[in-house]
Amino acid sequence: MALLEWKQAFSVGNASVDHEHKQMIEQINQLYELLGQPTTAVTIEAVLGDIHAYISAHFALEERLMRTAGYAEYENHKDDHEDLLDQIHELMFSFSENPDIGRKLLENKLSDWFGRHFASFDARLHRELG
Amino acid sequence: MLGLIQKTGRLVFKWPHKWLDEVFGNSLNPLRHLGSLTIFFLWLVLVSGIWITIFFHTSVDGAYESVEYLSNDQWYLGGVMRSLHRYASDAAIVTLVLHLLKEFVFNRYRSARWFSWMTGVPLLWLIIPLGITGYWLVWDQLALYVALISSEMLDALPIFTDSMARNFLSVESLSNRFFTLMAFTHIIGLPIFLVFGIWLHVFRITRPIINPPRTIMAGALLSMLLLSLVYPALSQGKADPAAVPESLALDWYYLLVYPLMKTWPAGAVWLLLIAISLLLCLAPWLPPGRKPAVARIDLENCNGCERCVEDCPFGALEMAPRSDGQKYAAEAIVLTNLCLSCGICVGSCPTATPFRTRSVLSPGIDLPDQSVAMIRELVTDAAQGLKGKQRLLIFGCDSSTKLYDVNDAATAVIKLTCMAQLPPSFIDYILSRELADGVVLAGCANGDCQYRLGTQWTQQRIDRERDPRLRKRVDIEKLALLWTEPWSDFLNPGAAVTAFRNTLVAAKEPSVAPKGHKVLLRPVGVALAWSLFAFAAGVFTLWPPFSQLETGNAIISLTFSHASQRVKQCRRLSQKELNELPPNMRKPSDCPRERYPIKVSFRADNVLMYDQTLLPSGFWKDGESTVYNRIELAAGSHELFIGMSDSGRTEGFDFSNRTSVTLAQGQHLVVEFDHQQKTFVFK
Repeated sequence: MALLEWKQAFSVGNASVDHEHKQMIEQINQLYELLGQPTTAVTIEAVLGDIHAYISAHFALEERLMRTAGYAEYENHKDDHEDLLDQIHELMFSFSENPDIGRKLLENKLSDWFGRHFASFDARLHRELG
Repeated sequence: MLGLIQKTGRLVFKWPHKWLDEVFGNSLNPLRHLGSLTIFFLWLVLVSGIWITIFFHTSVDGAYESVEYLSNDQWYLGGVMRSLHRYASDAAIVTLVLHLLKEFVFNRYRSARWFSWMTGVPLLWLIIPLGITGYWLVWDQLALYVALISSEMLDALPIFTDSMARNFLSVESLSNRFFTLMAFTHIIGLPIFLVFGIWLHVFRITRPIINPPRTIMAGALLSMLLLSLVYPALSQGKADPAAVPESLALDWYYLLVYPLMKTWPAGAVWLLLIAISLLLCLAPWLPPGRKPAVARIDLENCNGCERCVEDCPFGALEMAPRSDGQKYAAEAIVLTNLCLSCGICVGSCPTATPFRTRSVLSPGIDLPDQSVAMIRELVTDAAQGLKGKQRLLIFGCDSSTKLYDVNDAATAVIKLTCMAQLPPSFIDYILSRELADGVVLAGCANGDCQYRLGTQWTQQRIDRERDPRLRKRVDIEKLALLWTEPWSDFLNPGAAVTAFRNTLVAAKEPSVAPKGHKVLLRPVGVALAWSLFAFAAGVFTLWPPFSQLETGNAIISLTFSHASQRVKQCRRLSQKELNELPPNMRKPSDCPRERYPIKVSFRADNVLMYDQTLLPSGFWKDGESTVYNRIELAAGSHELFIGMSDSGRTEGFDFSNRTSVTLAQGQHLVVEFDHQQKTFVFK
């Protein structure tokens, strides 16, 4: 079963952002799947590295849209983005130290973050951009 | 050759820069704000100029008196404003020239920067005439000198058929209208072009710095006020065409070339000015530099986030509608003729992270000559060679500290074009993978970044105030930022590295705040520095004095225009000739317009002082011939003779006059031709 699933409710009302959200969810799910199989820390770190780059770029775009729209909650939203980027970096570190932490960590940390972020921050953003 | 000149120039800048850094602190050093400081001085000139304008009389008789009123009766305000007006405009020249020199010696004028450099040249051509017309308006002895020499220079240009300089040889020939015209030029005409020119000078770069920091503005204003109070600007006696003062206090900042007119022909002075201007204009291509490969966009990795556009200091990036069909609205495009290949855009790109090991490390924007992938390879290679306990990886930008010669098993140096070229994730990458124990970023001191904003952006990214931010988990203690002066390459690199390592061991950023006794000395240093500046701005407005005449001499001006006789007389055409012409062209007489050149000789005590043949003006050689010449003569009694022939005769003169005069020292005698009486007059 996939870890995350994109729902219409997640839409922020912007085609590029929604497109990237779907891509991101797919990447995280692939990682989750990968963790179910025998694998090495190096592979996982590499996958996380790519995810990190993709998410960074995505946040950069989303933040740009927020600023252009003069979004009032920009600062909080931005902080939450930075928080996720920090978490992914920490994850990379944890995996390289102990690859077995694996799925648990991903389940706890990332799915947690996505669930919360989509439900609160992006939902609010939808009202602004949509 | 060019490199040697620039290196020598940097050496000259080194010591004042170092001293002022100590006194003011790096970022508040006025030498790092020369351009904006010039603009600030121009503000002072504007504000004080408005005050002067209110009281100024635009008339021959009123001009001098109204300025005297400001300096004497209203010395506490008008006088101060007048002095401020003068000294701030001199200070503007000082900072402007320093600004120009600094950009030159630090090589910040070539390649895509030619536009900012070249648009600076006309500013010089606007500011200098502004100063000259300003001195002219005061209508004192200096003004008369300025008027005479300026007119002589303008007369040398093939614009006016008659001599303009002749107007300034007697008071009667000047009208109030002339002062209105001059005031218009000085107060409205030139300043409008100047404002437009300044805009042109800065509009193509992003985030231009127009105002210097407040403390610098305060220092500049106070130093100018101090100078105005201690040494108020004064006039040098009302303009009197009948006398030449023995010596004049000349403002060398504005009138540097004027004394040349004493010995050089006007054409040579113009040639010199044009040559200097041309040299300045062409400097960015002397010799033509090789342009490194510009930044390149990889659309596969660009989602149009605009970070690079925001960070580019040269406006070389723009957003454009998406061209590759991906689900994004926009993409970045590189304006190749504006790109300096500094790589600041690469450092801002969110996809430029060395952690991307599965996909090809190709960021949305990259430098072909030194890509992010190449930097990662350099890092990996350098790290493998590092040995010892405190392994250091130093990133040095090409323009500041040059540490390439460091030969140390525990230290490796990676050379970058600009510090902001390095994405902050590299620091995380190096430290988390233990490729080194410490990272040093050695870039240009703030305010002196070769690529304008590289230092600022790097510092902000590290401080997590700007995207892409350094991640929180990075141990900031293992990172040292060394913002060094561009002349650090003169220092001993080995000692510098040891200092870096010690800084790292002490786990501190290098402190720029001076300690102990230096704290007390700082205000003294600041006061001293500004006083010195005020002195420099003021001293050359008066000193060294300039003598138009050798002591004990008087001056004689030959000045008149005369229309000579025509070469051929009018002739009535015969009926036969008329019949041969088309009916509409049958003019009864044929009058060729050409006139003879005039021959003028001037003798003093039977010594030939002037002997010239002057051609008539105009395309058909039918205008007046103009004589304008100044002759220096020892004071005392002289027999003067002037003769002119206007009929093409080779022997003798058609008109002549002789007189005995006793010339006083500094007297100005004018020799004119009275067209009514058909005779020469000595006035």
